[in-house]
Amino acid sequence: MKPALKFASAALVVGVFATVPLWGSAVLVQFGINALILATLAQSWNIIGGYTGYPSFGNSVFYGLGGYGVAIAMVQYHLSFALGLILGATLAVLFAFLIGLPVLRLRGHYFAIATLGLAEVMTAIVSNLEIAGRNIGLILPLAKGDALFFELSLALVVVTTLTVAWISRSRFGFGLIAIRENEEAAAVMGVNTTLYKVLAFALCSVFSAVAGGIHAYWITYLDPGSAFDVALNVQMIIMAVFGGPGTIFGPILGAFALSAISEILASKITSLASIFFGVVIVVAIVFMPRGFADLIQNFRRLGWRYFQENLKAHRV
Amino acid sequence: MQLLWQILVNGILLGGLYALMALGLVLVWGVLNIVNLAHGALIMLGAYACYYLFTGFGWDPFAALPAAMAMLFCLGYLIQRCVLNLVIRAPMFNSLLVTFGLEVVITYLAQFLFSADFRTVNPSYAGANFSFLGATVPLVRVLAFGIALALTVALWLFLEHTRIGRAIRATAQNLVAARLYGVNPRQLYALTFGIGAALAGAAGALYGVVSQINPYIGAGLTAKSFAIAIIGGLEKSIYVLVGGLFLGVVEALTALYIGPTYTDVVSFGILVLVLIVRPSGLLGRTA
Repeated sequence: MKPALKFASAALVVGVFATVPLWGSAVLVQFGINALILATLAQSWNIIGGYTGYPSFGNSVFYGLGGYGVAIAMVQYHLSFALGLILGATLAVLFAFLIGLPVLRLRGHYFAIATLGLAEVMTAIVSNLEIAGRNIGLILPLAKGDALFFELSLALVVVTTLTVAWISRSRFGFGLIAIRENEEAAAVMGVNTTLYKVLAFALCSVFSAVAGGIHAYWITYLDPGSAFDVALNVQMIIMAVFGGPGTIFGPILGAFALSAISEILASKITSLASIFFGVVIVVAIVFMPRGFADLIQNFRRLGWRYFQENLKAHRV
Repeated sequence: MQLLWQILVNGILLGGLYALMALGLVLVWGVLNIVNLAHGALIMLGAYACYYLFTGFGWDPFAALPAAMAMLFCLGYLIQRCVLNLVIRAPMFNSLLVTFGLEVVITYLAQFLFSADFRTVNPSYAGANFSFLGATVPLVRVLAFGIALALTVALWLFLEHTRIGRAIRATAQNLVAARLYGVNPRQLYALTFGIGAALAGAAGALYGVVSQINPYIGAGLTAKSFAIAIIGGLEKSIYVLVGGLFLGVVEALTALYIGPTYTDVVSFGILVLVLIVRPSGLLGRTA
């Protein structure tokens, strides 16, 4: 598909989506809000994890800071939702810069575990903060109805995806990809790797924080356990990887596909849904390790041999 | 002073168990280069194995421990043979996600089979304690500490002095060379993961005796195991013991001087600091 055609069809899809609150049932709209927020998270993880190759487990911290920004602004200072979002995003960016500088020096497993540790530290710190309601949490003022949140989340996904689309064809994005492929070589080529990595981290922190803020105001309740939930971080990673990390539409696709799968499973076989979700993750990673985007590209050429080739390439 | 001594003793006893918890994780990480997010879930399964052998068959929990280890060994062997061997040459991140999938499966299967209720393994001597240089020491914790210590040393001896142990270490250093010397990697990987799972099973059985269990304890225990593994460093299994004892004492002191709700801030804060300042662990060689 030509890029222009691609973006025209994407715009059409967004247009159709925007009308969902007009005709969709309450359940559909609520499912949509959740899926859109997860899509934003998967997409912003894509910037640091997919393009830069740094598997962050700290994105749930940005999400949590965004939620707490909104909650603290609205509950403790009676400010508006918009100011809360700005506060949350500012906190997240500050955190990304402060923490990014030392932590982004680590690679692979070590980076993953350091960010995982940070998520645990933040949960524990916020559980002890008076202003954040300690471990009881904060109850936000009642929200204005699902349609508004749906449109807000949709707009956020669009902005995030446009940013990723820009990254994928900008000098900045090529720098990030170079870092992912070979960091030493990138540095030798004149990429300021520290600056690029921290900027990518900060960029994904903004979107995750806004997503967290929207979600907190929508749910009207926030506690440290759910705000900084590491499982949510893993979920965004799996969605990005399932769809295709380092691609523009992959994470969105992955978020919607996996949200739908888990929703259907939850309604059909309630008690076993999570077990099957786990099985889906394992099977997906084993048979299509480069995600759905890669599957679509190569399945036509290879057919069922695609799965065989993947197995052969990675087993011992 | 009395209080401080008591706290230190508690911390050391807990630290031994911590070390055992992280031991299997470190072994699997070091040899297979798999960061096993399902490690805590395996610990949880070990605790339940012990619980059911105790309540169902009336086995003493410490007699049930080898049985729990054997069960977890078989499970771990099968997991590696049937699942993880398929992704072991994929980018490290994929194997991490697969272990997360396994964690989800194990946790919710446990919830389905065992229910979400809290359980405790309560042998008749659970409340027994004795006095050691003025500190009160619960008997089960001392037993748990002793077994954790013995297993850590046993693993170290096994890796240093047996044929299989040497094969495992050789594979960790250089797979191709190990293969040329006749190591069958499929078998050896499965064996290694099995041993890691068995150690998790032992840690779980002991955890069930000293604390409450439910199907969701896994994720928290995985995170704690990471902290211990990183603090100790991945080079030698004996270092894990130091990491465990260090964390146990630090947590106990934090609870005393700063407050019990701050233990996670301190232990995970140390994890991050150690990673930033000395990524090879407090005891590891600096690269």
